[in-house]
Amino acid sequence: MTAKIESLSRPSFVSHLRALYAVARKDWQQFWRYPLNAISRVVEPVVWLTPVFFMGQAFSVDGKALGFEGYAGTSDYISFILVGSVLSNYIQTVFWGIGYALKNDMDSGVLESTWLTPVPRPLLLVGRTLTSLLTTTIISIAMLLIGWLLFGFQPTGNLWMALLAALPMLVGLYGFGMAFAAIVLLMRDANTLVDTSSYLVSLFSGSQFPVQALPRFLLPVSLALPLTYGYDAVRGFLLDTTTIIPIPYEMALLVVFMFVMIWLGLRIFENMERKVRVRGTLGQH
Amino acid sequence: METTSSNLFAPAVETPMQRLMADLRGLLWVAKKEFLYFVRYPSWVIGLFVWPVIFPMGYILSARALSGPDGSGLLLFTQRTGVEDYLGYIAIGTTVWMWQNAVLWNVGYALRGEQFRGTLETNWMSPSWRFSFLLGPSLTFMVMMLIFLVISAVEFGVLFGVQMHGNPLLVLLVLLAATPSIYGLGMAFASLIITAKEANNFVFLVRGLVMIFCGITFPVDLLPDWMEGVAKVLPQTHILRAMRTSILTNASFQDLLPDLLILAGFGAFWLAAGYLIFNRMERRARQTGAIGQY
Repeated sequence: MTAKIESLSRPSFVSHLRALYAVARKDWQQFWRYPLNAISRVVEPVVWLTPVFFMGQAFSVDGKALGFEGYAGTSDYISFILVGSVLSNYIQTVFWGIGYALKNDMDSGVLESTWLTPVPRPLLLVGRTLTSLLTTTIISIAMLLIGWLLFGFQPTGNLWMALLAALPMLVGLYGFGMAFAAIVLLMRDANTLVDTSSYLVSLFSGSQFPVQALPRFLLPVSLALPLTYGYDAVRGFLLDTTTIIPIPYEMALLVVFMFVMIWLGLRIFENMERKVRVRGTLGQH
Repeated sequence: METTSSNLFAPAVETPMQRLMADLRGLLWVAKKEFLYFVRYPSWVIGLFVWPVIFPMGYILSARALSGPDGSGLLLFTQRTGVEDYLGYIAIGTTVWMWQNAVLWNVGYALRGEQFRGTLETNWMSPSWRFSFLLGPSLTFMVMMLIFLVISAVEFGVLFGVQMHGNPLLVLLVLLAATPSIYGLGMAFASLIITAKEANNFVFLVRGLVMIFCGITFPVDLLPDWMEGVAKVLPQTHILRAMRTSILTNASFQDLLPDLLILAGFGAFWLAAGYLIFNRMERRARQTGAIGQY
């Protein structure tokens, strides 16, 4: 006679939602436990913009960067960069929110016990980004207000269409983030990986400048990144800039990117996570 | 029967020389531990090679975009600033910023990292010189940053075509003069965050000040007057000017002397401040019992 071993847990859709809420709530409490964090998250992107603002002044006449207009179709370089920075905030959130959160759990020694809970692991990863997405949205609004006050940020286009263009890009980033989280699990170090890769991806996607300004040998790298079209479409809608290809094509590319990245990200994460469990290195850091 | 109580933790060495040697050995072990910790994560080593190129690249490509397809913007930049080699200008600016940033994270985070891992309190109870817990990581990262600066110089030359016009010995002198300010600030910072805890925000604050005021990508005379005033009291402004003058121009020792003297003054101030703040904070943390908390 063989005894059937049953788990005591009774996972359901509702219990998963509760788990998601618990993870987000824990992160929310942790975030506000350090109030200076919230302030610095608003101020820091503005700090990063300041040297670009003054550098841009050195290249401009009466605040208009005419050389820049040759590439971007607008001389308002600071609005161009500000929109890029806000989108970069979201990219960082998915990178940091997933990969870095895993590393933090490893360091604090709670990853293994969290992993033992009867919650789908990708769901745990998504949960780690919910609070960051909310705080990033609040921070981005504050940042745009500061940008408006200090640097004269002026969106001239359609905000709702810009948001619509940003949506598939952000969902697709989750797939990217999960694949990345898998690498963090395997390598057990996130800081350099997160910093380097998110910086490079943002850079080559054109967060700070129109990619048309890239040297020819670097342009293919930029055009191969789906995020490039995300940045480009959002700016096209919001600032009426010159886009690389017509916006409808960019939108179609972003939707394809979204589905492909989610599927690929989940597959990579499942494989790597299994590998780490087989090796027994989950609790190591 | 009479028993004598003895302190197991009483130092086994008594003479000042033996004490000094024991402290030095302790210091070297802390430095070695930090080195082992550094090489334990290969991606940190890779970062030494990657960051010197990719960080300035963001600003360089932005400058390229601002120049425009016909280079008209660059002409304006040169007229405004008197700087022709904008690549070298930005590369040096961002390198000094990265140097200070790395010191803040590594030296500044040394004690906080121990606190976070729960090892600071136990280390603190060992019969060793407590300042060595801060000085040890500083020594390791001084060597690491020297390697970083050499790698940066080689990569700028090879990849960006930045040419050095100055005397290498004068560049070395400027680096030596800059070191006490940068590490003294890191030590003061490390001491503050034992009690203040929110290390990230303090790093953002200090490196933010450098980024906004010190002219890492633009000449400080482009700043409004009040900001230029702030820039003058930050050592990094003088480090940047001295580095750019010594590398990008054929400056003599006499040309660099005013900045070298200012840097020596800043260096003495920050090293003394680092040591004093460490002693004060260490005492305060023990009194409040906050040394092991995070």
